[in-house]
Amino acid sequence: MLLHVNTSSGVPVYLQIASQVKHAVAAGALKQGDALLSVRKLAAELRVNPNTVARAYQDLEREGLIRTVPGGGTYVADHQPGLLKSEKLRRLRPLARQLAVESSQLRLSPDDALKLVQEELDDLGGRR
Amino acid sequence: MTETVISTQGLSKVYPQVRAVDGLDLNVPRGAVYGFLGRNGAGKTTTIKTLLGLTHPSGGSAQVLGFDIRKDTIAILERTGFVSETKQLFDSLTPAQLVRFNRGYFPKWSDALAARYADLFEIPMQTPFAKLSLGNRTKVCHLLALCQGAELLLMDEPTAGLDPVMTDLLLRVLIEDHVNEGRTVFISSHHLSELEKISDWIGIIDRGKLLLETRLEDIRLNFRMVTVSGDSVPKLSAPNLVSQRSSDKFHRFLVTRDADEFAAQLRGQGATVLEVSPVNLGEVFLGLAGKETSCTSGNAGAIPATV
Repeated sequence: MLLHVNTSSGVPVYLQIASQVKHAVAAGALKQGDALLSVRKLAAELRVNPNTVARAYQDLEREGLIRTVPGGGTYVADHQPGLLKSEKLRRLRPLARQLAVESSQLRLSPDDALKLVQEELDDLGGRR
Repeated sequence: MTETVISTQGLSKVYPQVRAVDGLDLNVPRGAVYGFLGRNGAGKTTTIKTLLGLTHPSGGSAQVLGFDIRKDTIAILERTGFVSETKQLFDSLTPAQLVRFNRGYFPKWSDALAARYADLFEIPMQTPFAKLSLGNRTKVCHLLALCQGAELLLMDEPTAGLDPVMTDLLLRVLIEDHVNEGRTVFISSHHLSELEKISDWIGIIDRGKLLLETRLEDIRLNFRMVTVSGDSVPKLSAPNLVSQRSSDKFHRFLVTRDADEFAAQLRGQGATVLEVSPVNLGEVFLGLAGKETSCTSGNAGAIPATV
């Protein structure tokens, strides 16, 4: 798993880590039961504070994406979160809103914006 | 309660020309990576020297690892790895000789670690210190500080003079061998992006005074830049307001919490709120210690460039 962080992006580092793990799982690069690097190892790998990695892992665990075996490492969870569809949509809405705002500020047509989303979805589907 | 490794109460150091450290209240918890930020001449180096007992304070008090800086200098020096700003050691000794000279002073010295770092940092161990490049001198200073088995590392501008590869390597070693082992690291620097990655606590000093001490997490979660436009400069004094900049009809406020309430107050004064955005360390630093800068109307509403 090759993660990277960018401190100038304005996105908190723990969110960058969490979203990259999510992406790797969604794209099939990480499969159920795969081991993640330990907090300490990943912190050293990324040159970030261990607390930052721990925070990202906590968030991912709370969302049911990974599970931690006490003293035995961190793994991609066997059953990905079975949330109600309404809850899934609720979580996604802020991102959709951001996309809508940005694309209208850039004066992109709704079709262009939707096409972009479709391409990203296709891209994930193709890699599975 | 977290144990405090460094704490100061009204610490001051006055030189004939300048109040270098002016009533400093620092609190560094055990296990923290504490980024001590300040402009050139802000008082960073004087603070560190005072903490180590290398210079006597003019006022106030301080404890390092529970020891009084006025009385227990030896006990503090034994337990603290120190990388000085000047990176000066005995010119005629080679790094290998410096290692032999230093190890005797530190009961927890690790020869294995010294051998590993000499190799990893690619230090020419048999060349007299005077003939080493600035980069290699810096690496020798790091090796000596990192092998002491110190509970606390005090590093003054640790990456100055290092190339990007070596800087990266040093950060890795710091996290892998020291932070991960629960040691406390106190780094003074003005390299914001480095500190932003590895620190979990931040202290900002300017003209000898501590302007801010907080968890980095708190900056991410609660600090916000509120950008508004309006013909008159809104006048607000709130305890959460840190700094205010105005240019033309655009005004920017850096607040430490409750940004939405703050924005509502501005709206109440007739201002148009353009944006409430998270800030990075660079923006906080510029907001606190920066000079007044004008932002043109063209980019006043834009996300500020990062430092």
